[in-house]
Amino acid sequence: DTTLRVASWLPPTHPQNAVVWPTWAKWVEDATEGRVKVEIEYGLGHPKTMFELVEDGVVDASWSYHGYVPGRFKLTQAVEQPLLGASAEAASVAHWRVHQKYFAKANEHDGLEVIGLFTHGPGQIHLAEPISSLSELEGKKIRLGGGVQGEIGARMGVTAVGAPAPKVYEMMQQGVIDGVFIPMGEQKSLRLHEVARNVVALPGGMYLGSFGIFMNPDFLADLDAKDRDAILSVSGEKLSAMAGRAWDAADIEGLKAAQENGVNVVQVKEGEPMAEEFKALTKGMDEAFYESVADRGVDAKAALAELRQIARSYK
Amino acid sequence: MITALTGFVILLLFIVVVRVPIAFAMGLVGFFGFAYMQGLSFDNFMDFNWNSSLTMASKRVINTAQEYSLSVIPLFILMGNLVTKSGLSHELYRASYAFLGHRKGGLSMATVVACGGFSAICGSSLATSATMAKVAMPPMRKYGYADSLATASIAAGGTLGILIPPSVILVIYGLLTETSIRELFAAGFIPGFLGILLYLCAVRFVVWRTPEAGPCGEKMSWPERIQALNGVWGVLALFSVVMGGIYLGIFTPTEAAGIGAGGAFIIALYRRSLSFGSLFDILTDTARTSAMLFGVLIGALIFSNFINRAGLPSDLLDLVNNLDVAPMVVILVILAIYIVLGMVFESLSMLLLTVPIFFPLVQSLGFDLVWFGIVVVVVTEISLITPPVGMNVFVLSAVLRDVKASTIFKGVTPFWCADIVRLALITFISSISLFLPELLYR
Amino acid sequence: MSFSAWMTAHYEEKGPVAWLAFLLELVAAITLFFMMMLTCADVFGRYFLDNAVDGATELTEMSLAILVFAEMPVITWRGGHVVVDILDRLLGGTVIKVLGLLSALLISTSLYFLAVRIHELAVRSNSRGEVTEFLQVPVGYIVDYIAVMSWATAALMISYGIYRLLFLSRD
Ligand code: NA
Ligand code: NA
Repeated sequence: DTTLRVASWLPPTHPQNAVVWPTWAKWVEDATEGRVKVEIEYGLGHPKTMFELVEDGVVDASWSYHGYVPGRFKLTQAVEQPLLGASAEAASVAHWRVHQKYFAKANEHDGLEVIGLFTHGPGQIHLAEPISSLSELEGKKIRLGGGVQGEIGARMGVTAVGAPAPKVYEMMQQGVIDGVFIPMGEQKSLRLHEVARNVVALPGGMYLGSFGIFMNPDFLADLDAKDRDAILSVSGEKLSAMAGRAWDAADIEGLKAAQENGVNVVQVKEGEPMAEEFKALTKGMDEAFYESVADRGVDAKAALAELRQIARSYK
Repeated sequence: MITALTGFVILLLFIVVVRVPIAFAMGLVGFFGFAYMQGLSFDNFMDFNWNSSLTMASKRVINTAQEYSLSVIPLFILMGNLVTKSGLSHELYRASYAFLGHRKGGLSMATVVACGGFSAICGSSLATSATMAKVAMPPMRKYGYADSLATASIAAGGTLGILIPPSVILVIYGLLTETSIRELFAAGFIPGFLGILLYLCAVRFVVWRTPEAGPCGEKMSWPERIQALNGVWGVLALFSVVMGGIYLGIFTPTEAAGIGAGGAFIIALYRRSLSFGSLFDILTDTARTSAMLFGVLIGALIFSNFINRAGLPSDLLDLVNNLDVAPMVVILVILAIYIVLGMVFESLSMLLLTVPIFFPLVQSLGFDLVWFGIVVVVVTEISLITPPVGMNVFVLSAVLRDVKASTIFKGVTPFWCADIVRLALITFISSISLFLPELLYR
Repeated sequence: MSFSAWMTAHYEEKGPVAWLAFLLELVAAITLFFMMMLTCADVFGRYFLDNAVDGATELTEMSLAILVFAEMPVITWRGGHVVVDILDRLLGGTVIKVLGLLSALLISTSLYFLAVRIHELAVRSNSRGEVTEFLQVPVGYIVDYIAVMSWATAALMISYGIYRLLFLSRD
């Protein structure tokens, strides 16, 4: 019997740890007829180190946010670009397929076996005070993660404040920040409904966030061929879709928590002024993305087009 | 469980018998323990794949040395050192003397209060006792105080420094357990003041038993008292800026350290107590202390990787569940372990060694981690005056060459008892620590 | 006081080692002072100029690493790490020196091998183009700095640290 050690982060109650990993663990155990058992381990350090902890065999598998390692992961930002207008599940499937077809050969995940790619739900604007126009965000102190949201924040003229997600509640409540760009699910899991009483939900959200799930190649190679195939058969697109679905479900829970607690959620519709404002604001970001990945030797333009087509037509 | 406990015993041997610095002992035992969990044995020593354990350790070094929230360590220490250099300790002592000095044991009481006030700015117990020894010892000698009472009030007063916020130890506890640092700071207030109060009671007790140990000082008139208060505005202002800024949300606790250091720098400039040379001394002294703390912290994190992989926290939990005892009994056992460890270790090493093991257990028993943090810090404070190795006592006997450590330990006994009373109060009445955080933040 | 008199008064080390200690501590001191000013400027800018210092977090993180590892060789060769000396009175001077020697060997060896791995990780990080978020500084530079300073700590501990232990310690 083999134990497959998964390093995880975020609290054990988070959907990624309460749903995604246990579901996959069950799939793996069933597919290998119980020969491979999955064990989750916490407390191994900052999420950005997970890539290398898996690569060097400290653990056998893990997951992380690509934006934590700027410079190494650029192509993964394709799925994060604004105005995709799809659910996390649809985006995750598109993310996986396009990666396999276009991006895998650029080898950004060098040293790792990628077994899944997914995104969180659309990022929205959570604020202490309401706004009626995106231009009011100028000069406001907003907590931003890296990557595409940084670019959007810069175009809006916000004062960017960097901090890890679990610190957001404290900083919101203290007034160190006026708002945060983050998916709807955090209204519940980070208790933002207590401190960010105003949400502006743009149609399709502003951006997505790319995550990878990966394994140590040597661990896979050392397995029996049938176990290896069994694990891979329950990973890939199947795992990516399942993860995306779980994060979508978290967003629905978050929206419910927000509404039950009387948070002012403004659902901006297509064609309304703020949606138009956002479109104008993000003009040219596609080109900037192509530019940033020019050295990667892939057809980024075709890849982004195909990604959008898959995500938008996903059933 | 057996593997982890074996590792722990080897670690204690390394630290106590072989005299390896704690940082490196924890790092080495953690490293080899982790490698053992990865399949290292005597047979495969030469062709073992060391890379995974090495990467684990390297990543701890690389990331801890660049952890943003740890920037409070050098900056809070810098604030304390700048305040010390400004001579504020003298004025704090003068102000408390003005109000308390004329009572029996009054100078001793003034020392305790001044130590408490000084601790409010300075995060280090050792610095507090070393500084206050220079300030408070001469007047107590002048009035014929017994060495045992005089030194004990300084050694004990010095321990207050790590609980009254801002506190470096509370920050480290917050990082290890992912507990809100702001709430920890708020929770430290009342237990900190309770500590001062109980120490005052201890002084009263000593002079009631042996009146000649602590004669009265001079009584000051009210105008003189007001004038003495004038001298402490600097400390009060700095403390208000730091804690008020955190409370009002002007900056984060992490940023508060930088602001506090900046404020202390301005006070020091204003009082003309800085030269290039002394600024350099303060900065390098702070850097040395910080580097030492980072060494211990990195070692502890590597060691905790091994403890986790060996499954000690979850095994402990299973054990407690099987024994089926009341949760409070578990806490009392943990406290007993701390008091025993406190004989040998100083506060930070003890905290780093044990918190990763105990906090998952405490959390799953349903206790509040903020409350547990305060309990742990109080019990580690006690270790600083617990024989045979009480760091504060040693620092004091090093500063005052003519006083023996045994004399100080003898004098410290009533204060030690006061600490045990405080520990019991805080353990059984959780609202002593949780009242403020609940009022302010929950 | 002349500068050389100040050096003699401040540094127990002699000759080039004293200069090295001074240089490393100067780096640490300047970095610490910079961290203090940076936080103040960042908070001040955020409230009064509507503009925080770009990448203040990253600069603080890098400064922290520079500060800690500039000081690491000095505190290590001076035996400045926390040691539990509860048995010292039982052990006697010679035994303590032998144990100190053993510690020095352990420290140097472990830091040497650790630094090799840290350097490898730095090279790998740079080859993959990893940079910081705002300032786009290659991550591997700081990691390599940590590796180099760990080697320096190991080398100085095994040479000057042992010399100091055997011939300069006062007891
Ligand atoms: Na303090
Ligand atoms: Na002790």
